[in-house]
Amino acid sequence: MAGEALERLKNSLLDLDMQGALGAARAICDGGDNAVVKGAVEAVSDALQVVGKRFQEGEWFLAELVYAGEIAREVMNLLSPLMDAGASVSMGTVVVGTVAGDLHDLGKNIFINYAKSAGFTVIDLGIDVPCDKFIAAVKEHRPLALGMSCLLTSTDAEIGRVIQALKGENLRQEVKVIIGGAALTAGFARQAGADAFAPDAVTGTDIIRGWSAG
Amino acid sequence: MDFRERILTAINHQEPDRVPVMGLVMDPATVDRILERQPADLVGLLQNPDLAEDIVSTVNTNDAWNSFYYGNTAGALESAVKLGFDANWTIYALMKLHRDPESALGYAYYDAFGRVWELGRTEGGGTAVNYSRPLCPTEEQWEAWVERNAVLFDTIVENTAAFHRKLVEEYGDKILPIGYAAPGIFENSWQPIGFVNFTRLVYEKPDFVKRVIAFHTELYLRSVEAVMQSGVELVLGGDDLGHKTGPMMRPELIEGLLGESYRRVSELVHSFDKKLIWHSCGNIYKLLEMFIDWGFDGIITMEPTAGMELGKVREMVGHRLVLVGNLDVSHLLVKGTRQEIEDAVKLAIRDAGRGGGYILSACHSHPCVDGERLGWMVEAAHKYGKYPIDS
Repeated sequence: MAGEALERLKNSLLDLDMQGALGAARAICDGGDNAVVKGAVEAVSDALQVVGKRFQEGEWFLAELVYAGEIAREVMNLLSPLMDAGASVSMGTVVVGTVAGDLHDLGKNIFINYAKSAGFTVIDLGIDVPCDKFIAAVKEHRPLALGMSCLLTSTDAEIGRVIQALKGENLRQEVKVIIGGAALTAGFARQAGADAFAPDAVTGTDIIRGWSAG
Repeated sequence: MDFRERILTAINHQEPDRVPVMGLVMDPATVDRILERQPADLVGLLQNPDLAEDIVSTVNTNDAWNSFYYGNTAGALESAVKLGFDANWTIYALMKLHRDPESALGYAYYDAFGRVWELGRTEGGGTAVNYSRPLCPTEEQWEAWVERNAVLFDTIVENTAAFHRKLVEEYGDKILPIGYAAPGIFENSWQPIGFVNFTRLVYEKPDFVKRVIAFHTELYLRSVEAVMQSGVELVLGGDDLGHKTGPMMRPELIEGLLGESYRRVSELVHSFDKKLIWHSCGNIYKLLEMFIDWGFDGIITMEPTAGMELGKVREMVGHRLVLVGNLDVSHLLVKGTRQEIEDAVKLAIRDAGRGGGYILSACHSHPCVDGERLGWMVEAAHKYGKYPIDS
């Protein structure tokens, strides 16, 4: 019975069926079995990995990626209150923000959705984040990775500024830096001293998953 | 050949005397640098509590806005003429300043369609404007917005015609103003709602989404017609249908939601015996055949940072589309060396120039695009773009 509900949850997410996924999640919650709730969280994570693969292979597109992320977010809203504190181990903490002067947040928010669903603890600093706020967050949370989003050429220098400030505070060796956004390229990431460039949210999640495992 | 013959010959997939060069000069920061003007510090004025409300009430009148906005675009055309471009795009927009507690400045532009545009200062002290968030995230808010702003939509159409007509009259003997009806149907549909909300509505309330798109299709057709009535000889339409790695939506979904609308735009433009060049940012390889099917005559942009390569596009579409683009504006036309720009111009001409059907341009505009580098681009095009093009 529980296995059937978990299967229904995963399949509904992969069919982009919001009501089906929420119905399955509610049935799991009503069962009150923590092990099944944990299984449901894993099913959501597995489903999103399939979504990510479909996106990277060009089978699915941005809107599908976004909607699958929305279904996952709503399902997790139902499941989260029933999860045992400490029952799941975080894959690591990621501090994320859009650099100062830039107000775009679509790509950042998609990344956050997927990173959270993959088991990461995400600290979202929002948009237009000044350098000192990134540094303060790294000091406070000691994250596995710092993610910076930047859509505008006019603000890309902020990325180098933050990386220099990390070095100045002797924090650079402690945190991986990943960047993404329309204005950026892998070449820019190398020049700015970032560890990785993510052309999309799925690749970004794959990269930090690799860092977490490594 | 003069600039007009050069552009129109290329548009017809014939070889002009040399590859035409089109400017996408638009941002006041770029224009001010080219014309060596002192930038207008709107942000500074709005930060002054003694002046802010007077500025708002002045800018928000139709005449003052049109005068201010026309001045910016006239400056863009003067800049393009000064740099030696054959053509430049011209875009009309209508926005109003609002008190906006969510923006850092406390004021933001709200456009007629329901978008918030935040104001910021450029490095040179001028004003930069960027879309930041939607004003109509729900069905009810969108319906209320559209009803409340019905008069404004008529004003946009009237202003669009007058704006482009005046530009053609004033600058048409110096440069070809290419009238751009923007923003497009897709952008006007999702941006006032927000992409995440809009995507949810596509799956959960498809009839509402169809109603939104139908509304913006009719309005867009009126805007396109207004642009054409001004006397422009070439029309730009556009919608950002791509993001960094691919289309924003599944191509079949885009066809289902927007295909018929785009076909109507093409038919309207062709009924005026004009050509339609389509702008879309992002990675759009998977949409190229659809563009042809929808009746577009050409495309402009092809952003290198989204993986778009001019040679690959030409290989895929042949001469079924005029190509306009695609020099990089993330590095090349911001900080690139003269040699880098010359090399990029040579490559673009080699990849797309043969047989006509190609107009060289930057792939986009933003406040950091450098006037001097645009000038180098034009000079290189004049130097290396003479027909016949060697292989």
